Amino acid sequence: MGTKFIKTICPYCGTGCGLIIKVEDGVAVATYPDREHPVSRGSLCVKGWSAHEFIHHPDRLTSPLLRKGDVFQEIPWDEAIPMAVDKLRETAVKYGGDAVGGLSSAKCTNEENYLFQKLMRMAFKTNNVDHCARLCHAPTTVAMAQTLGSGAMTNSISDLAGAECLLVIGSNAAESHPIIMGEIYKAVDRGATLIVVDPRKTAVVQNAKIHLPINPGTDIPLLCGMMRHIIDEGLYDKEFVKARTEGFEELNEFISAWTVEKASGECGINPELIKLVAETYAKAKESAIVYCMGITQHACGTANVLAICDLAMLCGHVGKEYSGIYPLRGQNNVQGACDMGALPNVYPGYQGVSDPAIRDKFQKAWGVELSDKPGLTVTEIIGSAGKDIRAVYIMAENPALSDPDVNHVLESLKALDFLIVHDIFLTETARFAHLVFPGSCFAEKSGTFTNTERRFQLLRKAIDPPGNAKEDFTILCLLGSALGLDFSYNHPGEVMEEIASLVPAYGGVCFDRLEREGLQWPCPDSDHSGTQYLHKDRFTRGRGLFVTPEYTPPKELPDDDYPYYLSTGRMFAHYHTGTMTRRSPFLNREAEEAYAEINPEDAVHLDVKDGEKIKITTRRGSIITTARITKRVSKGSVFAPFHFAEARANMLTNPVLDPLSKIPEFKVCAADVRKESQDD
Amino acid sequence: MLEKTKNIAKQILEEKKADGVLGLMKSRWDIVQPHVFEKPGELDALVLEPKWLLAKLFMSILRSYPEDYRLAVICRGCDERALIELTKRNQIEKETLLTIGIACSQEQAAICLCDRPYPVKLDAGEIASGADPFQDERVREFLIGNDKKRMEKWANVLKRCIKCYGCRNSCPICVCEPCKLEDDVWVQRGAVPAEMITFHLIRAFHLSDTCVACGACQEACPVNIPLLYLQLSMRKTLKEKYGYEAGLDPERKSPILSDFFKEPETGREYPEWINSLRGKDGY
Repeated sequence: MGTKFIKTICPYCGTGCGLIIKVEDGVAVATYPDREHPVSRGSLCVKGWSAHEFIHHPDRLTSPLLRKGDVFQEIPWDEAIPMAVDKLRETAVKYGGDAVGGLSSAKCTNEENYLFQKLMRMAFKTNNVDHCARLCHAPTTVAMAQTLGSGAMTNSISDLAGAECLLVIGSNAAESHPIIMGEIYKAVDRGATLIVVDPRKTAVVQNAKIHLPINPGTDIPLLCGMMRHIIDEGLYDKEFVKARTEGFEELNEFISAWTVEKASGECGINPELIKLVAETYAKAKESAIVYCMGITQHACGTANVLAICDLAMLCGHVGKEYSGIYPLRGQNNVQGACDMGALPNVYPGYQGVSDPAIRDKFQKAWGVELSDKPGLTVTEIIGSAGKDIRAVYIMAENPALSDPDVNHVLESLKALDFLIVHDIFLTETARFAHLVFPGSCFAEKSGTFTNTERRFQLLRKAIDPPGNAKEDFTILCLLGSALGLDFSYNHPGEVMEEIASLVPAYGGVCFDRLEREGLQWPCPDSDHSGTQYLHKDRFTRGRGLFVTPEYTPPKELPDDDYPYYLSTGRMFAHYHTGTMTRRSPFLNREAEEAYAEINPEDAVHLDVKDGEKIKITTRRGSIITTARITKRVSKGSVFAPFHFAEARANMLTNPVLDPLSKIPEFKVCAADVRKESQDD
Repeated sequence: MLEKTKNIAKQILEEKKADGVLGLMKSRWDIVQPHVFEKPGELDALVLEPKWLLAKLFMSILRSYPEDYRLAVICRGCDERALIELTKRNQIEKETLLTIGIACSQEQAAICLCDRPYPVKLDAGEIASGADPFQDERVREFLIGNDKKRMEKWANVLKRCIKCYGCRNSCPICVCEPCKLEDDVWVQRGAVPAEMITFHLIRAFHLSDTCVACGACQEACPVNIPLLYLQLSMRKTLKEKYGYEAGLDPERKSPILSDFFKEPETGREYPEWINSLRGKDGY
């Protein structure tokens, strides 16, 4: 008989848990946890347990599709690839290579991301390649690179269990990163103090010792108030600051303006509580800061992360075990997609495209001339569609649901001369494509994912892609070769060898070494066993740099016309744009339709009962959704998950960008909420 | 013990007593995972560690295979008890059950708080003495003493639940279809944490007389809820008052199903565990 158990990695969040897929006669029928996995150790969340459910869904794309008017027609690969080549080349010849843009994917492997950016950079001499990290942790990459020298989680997930104080800011890890939450609870069981900063009463808050329900977008006042108190009381790590950092005087001067009282006035937290939290964080032997989208998705997202880095360095809680800074990465391979240079300003390994020596290295390795001009970001590529950007290749991203102000995104997608979408389902974005490539899901290919703790992990192929769909690696090699590039790779392992040869920090990474437990970068050579925590003895950039975090309040605050705060995010059973989870029966039954959370007092005021329809309107648009009445949101606030295509929360969100990282302000905008009358 | 187990498994396959043997395989790079061994030659890769419960996998494989496929399974004490419970519930045909029983080490028994770390049909290994879970300090904190304090303790751990359903999914005895946890009457959809009473206690009571204390639920729990402890009081009572242990005797029905009064040591007084349900303190 044909039962096989295949060890592989979960396709959902950045935790990177170990799965065992049970395969019967070529069909993935069940998922079990991997007891031996270094991160998940035999546990999974509900999404992990259900990871096999969408794989054989009848909606899977099984053939390349060509748009003919309003319908798609199936075409063979030997027509699809030449057509893609013709159209992309035509655009590049007519308008220049910078008229082509590519969105790579945090759902795809390192090898696929490497090939994608290599293809864009080689074939079109453009750096217009980006991916959805722009919408989640771009501020992390920018701010942590500036202060510490490396834009990644400083420590390992398992370190959290050993922390004495855990400061969780803007992360609902209990729903979004449940296995990491388990490590936090381990610390709590050993007596650690869990402090949670979140405007909502999330599941994490319900298990915290101290909750700071700050006003939306006031993280910097809170963090600065804490730093001011820590400095005033002499609680900072003077030795560490002196020996390991620079810029303290500038920070000190900046912080002097942020008295605890002033901070309190902005963030709405009692000064005594700010002081208590500051002291708890500073005095603990090992303190960890865990943060997520609540920090980054703001117009001052980069400054928010700077403030976190400053606080950690001030107290010496970085560069050692059980402490550090933990940005929780959203997608299974968003760390890897960044690492592989699917970014407009860097080659693989964060090596700048404008640095002549670096560019020279890549030109020699790839044998072509490359552009030194940084490319456009996700939001800029979409924003310039039909203008400077004429043709776009999107691999496994769904901007029609994931980007802010989607009405505008849809207009942009329509304005393109040519759009290729490469995905496993006909997503809301793929519906706008001229040409669709049917790709492979996580169980149908091999390669590597890098989880949020910098761990390269091996993805093992369990089954074949459906119908005429192909492994993404194969599609990229076909397209690259047809574009005249030397993409004659036989196996993703060969791509990893090439990556290792070009990025010093991954020099020791190869497939054979990843078989058992993976490897955490930096891993410079084949004798190096990987790095559990960064910045030991020395920061990646040398000395840690204090950078002053300038505070800008949210760009759009409630007013008479739009009196509510609107915030967006995730719920435990669904994942991002729902492409996979809404096609997984067990997950979908948990939340089959769109909803928004409103506070009971507001519900009375609006005369809305639980389960009734409400209309949420912002300056960008409106959606009709179902009210869930709950004290999880405070009075005057609304929370809408962004998973649901029929009521796109991103119709509402504000596309204003953080100037440094270009992340949109998903977390705060002003909204009006009305009861939707039944006969409308 | 390993060599002996390998030999028995080899014999089973060579003599065609079974078409496959479910066990753990250690492949290149020291990767351990469950595997159905179908060729005697493959068995060189067989290993017995770590503790990896196979009863649930065994069931799921049997359900999808043709009726005449015979599958043997390498099992520990708890695995065997789970399989016996499943035969009692007509989930596995008793006649077709073929096990290779192995004993757990004393160390493993201590980790699992297992009072019977070996199968009835023992084929390999030495019997180690079991652990008394009620001597464990953490167990005592949760199960013995001040009701109010214990209630608080339980509430504090149960509100961590992230509703992964891992406790149900990993439990070898959870086989009901449809599952009560998927019934809107009891469990609200789309909400975390899962309800303490209707989710966790329904699950626990559903298993009160069938739980074999394998600990799979607790091992699968990402947020460290001591789910096994929920079962220990009932197991203890059944053992002490009725001399009954789930999964030990394939012929004996649970006292809850059989005539209460015909059971040995009827025990007309309330068993101790009822104490915590009396509610005299107003909760």
